Amino acid sequence: MRYIFRYGVHVAGVSFAAATILTACGGDGVKTAGDTVSISGSTTVLPAISRAADDYTMQTGAKIIVNAGGSGGGFKQLAEGQTDIGMMSRDITAEERARFARHSFTVTAIGRDAVAPAVSSEIYDAGVTQLSFEQVTDIYMGRVDNWSAFGGPDRAIFAVDKEAGRGTRQVFARIVFGDKNMQAPGADLVVGSNNEEQTALAQSDSAIGMISFAWANADVRPLSITTANGAVAPTLDNVNSGAFPITRDLLIVTREDVSGQAKAFIDFVLSPEGQTHVVDAGYLPVNK
Amino acid sequence: MISRAAKEHIFAAATRAALGLSVCILAFLLGAIIVRGAQAISLDFLFMPSRDFGSRGGISYQIFGSLLIVLTAGLIAAPLALGASVYRSEYIKNTAAQRLFDLALYGLNGVPSIIFGLFGLILFVNIFGTGLSWFVGAVILAIMMLPTACMATISAMRGIDTPYRENAYALGLTREQTALRIIIPQSLHGLVTGLLIGLARAIGETAPIMFIATAFSGAGVPSSLAEPVATLPTHILALAQQAADPAALQNAWGASFTLIALVAMFSLAAFFARARLLPLSQR
Amino acid sequence: MDFTRPAPPSGRALRSYFLISALICAAICAVILITLLGQTGPVLSHNPASLFGTVWNPNLGQYGIIPMLYGSIVVMVIAMAIALPLGVLTAIYIAETRSARLRGIIKSALEVLAGIPSIVYGLIGVAYISVWVAKGLDLQTGRLILTAGLILAVMILPTILTLTEDAISNVPVIQRENARALGLYRHEVILDVVLPHARRDILAAGLLALGRALGETMAVMLVIGSLDRLPSPIFNVLSSGQTITSKLGRELGESAFGSAHFSALVLMGLILVLITLTLTGAAQWLINRRPNGVEAIYD
Repeated sequence: MRYIFRYGVHVAGVSFAAATILTACGGDGVKTAGDTVSISGSTTVLPAISRAADDYTMQTGAKIIVNAGGSGGGFKQLAEGQTDIGMMSRDITAEERARFARHSFTVTAIGRDAVAPAVSSEIYDAGVTQLSFEQVTDIYMGRVDNWSAFGGPDRAIFAVDKEAGRGTRQVFARIVFGDKNMQAPGADLVVGSNNEEQTALAQSDSAIGMISFAWANADVRPLSITTANGAVAPTLDNVNSGAFPITRDLLIVTREDVSGQAKAFIDFVLSPEGQTHVVDAGYLPVNK
Repeated sequence: MISRAAKEHIFAAATRAALGLSVCILAFLLGAIIVRGAQAISLDFLFMPSRDFGSRGGISYQIFGSLLIVLTAGLIAAPLALGASVYRSEYIKNTAAQRLFDLALYGLNGVPSIIFGLFGLILFVNIFGTGLSWFVGAVILAIMMLPTACMATISAMRGIDTPYRENAYALGLTREQTALRIIIPQSLHGLVTGLLIGLARAIGETAPIMFIATAFSGAGVPSSLAEPVATLPTHILALAQQAADPAALQNAWGASFTLIALVAMFSLAAFFARARLLPLSQR
Repeated sequence: MDFTRPAPPSGRALRSYFLISALICAAICAVILITLLGQTGPVLSHNPASLFGTVWNPNLGQYGIIPMLYGSIVVMVIAMAIALPLGVLTAIYIAETRSARLRGIIKSALEVLAGIPSIVYGLIGVAYISVWVAKGLDLQTGRLILTAGLILAVMILPTILTLTEDAISNVPVIQRENARALGLYRHEVILDVVLPHARRDILAAGLLALGRALGETMAVMLVIGSLDRLPSPIFNVLSSGQTITSKLGRELGESAFGSAHFSALVLMGLILVLITLTLTGAAQWLINRRPNGVEAIYD
């Protein structure tokens, strides 16, 4: 039996040693050891980066860890030194910059995306295929609560909102509502990722939500935007030409102490080969 | 006024209905997990890395990461639980102090799992600056396992008859020697059982590790202590949020089935450990 | 290394190893509380009044925790309202049945049920229960306060069932026999003799289950809908909501460490721990308390 106890002592020794190493690895922020690149942030940017990372890993053997968490979380983790690259689907806010004034951040656009108000296919098929900014705002502010107001069926509108820190939400709110921090008292459900938004819209038969083009499908239909000059359809061509108004750059952010390995990966994403992954993910490439 | 006999029948019917409902719930849960899980499981699924945010490919790194975190947690918790249990059962003789110690353990046991995650996020990830680290996850899970492991060990030590201690003292052994030669060997089954039960619980935990130890994709075999890994519970979380995609949902069921199989494995091991490791003196 | 004859560790080294381990185990709970407390500063100094409001909008510095607190309590009440009667009635059946085999089967099935990780309950909630609720009640979404309550009821059922069954089985046979001899029906024996005798342990089981229900995160977070508002009307459980745990699970990753936002979340966590610790403490006190008076004679 005493051998078992002796083993126990060894185990204790190993765990204390491990704890010491861990603390040594800690220090002020710079965390990833060796040639691992860690990336986290917006679920909008994620599909493009994740595809590119898989390819890059296959080609070079470099290890790239990609994590979700939203634009806010992505910036926060980068700024605090927990990751090498942050993914953001909105700009860094003044508050965020002020909080981490001791660091300087480099923002690189790796692709372009458009957000559209999207509805359940039942509503789209019933004839609601375009809305103006004012109409969408009315829905989210709780001023209009029935699809019949927009020529749809006599059915209550089920408004799906997104968590405040999400890039999609902030871009949508800034351009459509006119204020990126505007709350939506008319919302009936709040979701986080694009996945959840897609699921919620697909499961409902009278929902409206905000979704990135890449996530639209047969059950989740993006709407045209009614403007003074007619309706603008949610197509990539219209985004390219600048006609579709709710667009944003897909950004990756780095700190001044960016590692060589992370830089190499960013260069790969910006290369023609890397940009194919951006296109595969349903977005527009940057260099066009 | 209903007669007493009628009331008797109503009451019997109510308990029977309750039993029926409980059994239905149970059957549904197990049935759903087994049927949906079995459809998703294959050798490829278990041994391939995941692709496309988990909706394609397998869960090999998730299995690896989960086992890595909980087994490390077990190794950290074992010596602490052993030492603390010896102290509690052989050194603390004051009833009030015993009560206080037990209360601290029960309290720790009652802390909600997300609070452990919050604690780890504040103390390790931010104040100590470790960043996302699988080892921090293991430390946090080790803390969560401590009450279970301690309580099982302490109760095994309580089961050792007093004559064992008296004989040891009569032979001139010190308290430390008695602990080392008599108490610990005679109560190891408690420690092992408690640890295994703790492992079975820990491997299914999501909330304590989701902010501090895990990554969404790309995490493989970590090359240092300060790297995140992929785990089964966080993988299921990511997949459950894509419930509209049948492929993702299918993989979520497969991962759930695998996770429950691992839980069952640790629980069964605990069951056998309790039976096999029990010292002859206590059989 | 010479494994055959390890040198015995010195007594002092051993003694301090035992002591240090014990101190660590005993202190962790307090360390957790202090760590949390240490992070609540920013929101308390920033805008403490807003904490008691019903609006959560970090961008405007509004951190009303009332909707989350309310959500946690309502979800817990729904879960208990379903699981307590169901669990106690089932436990009565199991404890009173003559079939040892049925008992054995149900007991082991319960252990399996208790071993299912909460994230799997969340998956079941997303894939089945929320879909059923939405279809059955003809609603736009199944992500509701009610759904979260239903899932939690299923999750705490094993806890209530196992502990209640133990409590009922522990009631001395002599009590039942005396009651039967007085000519009482079986339901009268149970309701008037057995349950009153076991009430303290059943209450403890209920408190432990309450603590579990309050602290559960993953399953709730996936099905409750994340709406940081009080439902309208206030008892409308068919609307989306938010609990303290689901709020933490959703937002911790996005708030910057040290900000008022983060500290408001930590404060909610602290409130949650204090409530669950009180519940656990009360349950332990009930279980540990020695029976007195007449009961002590029979026990």
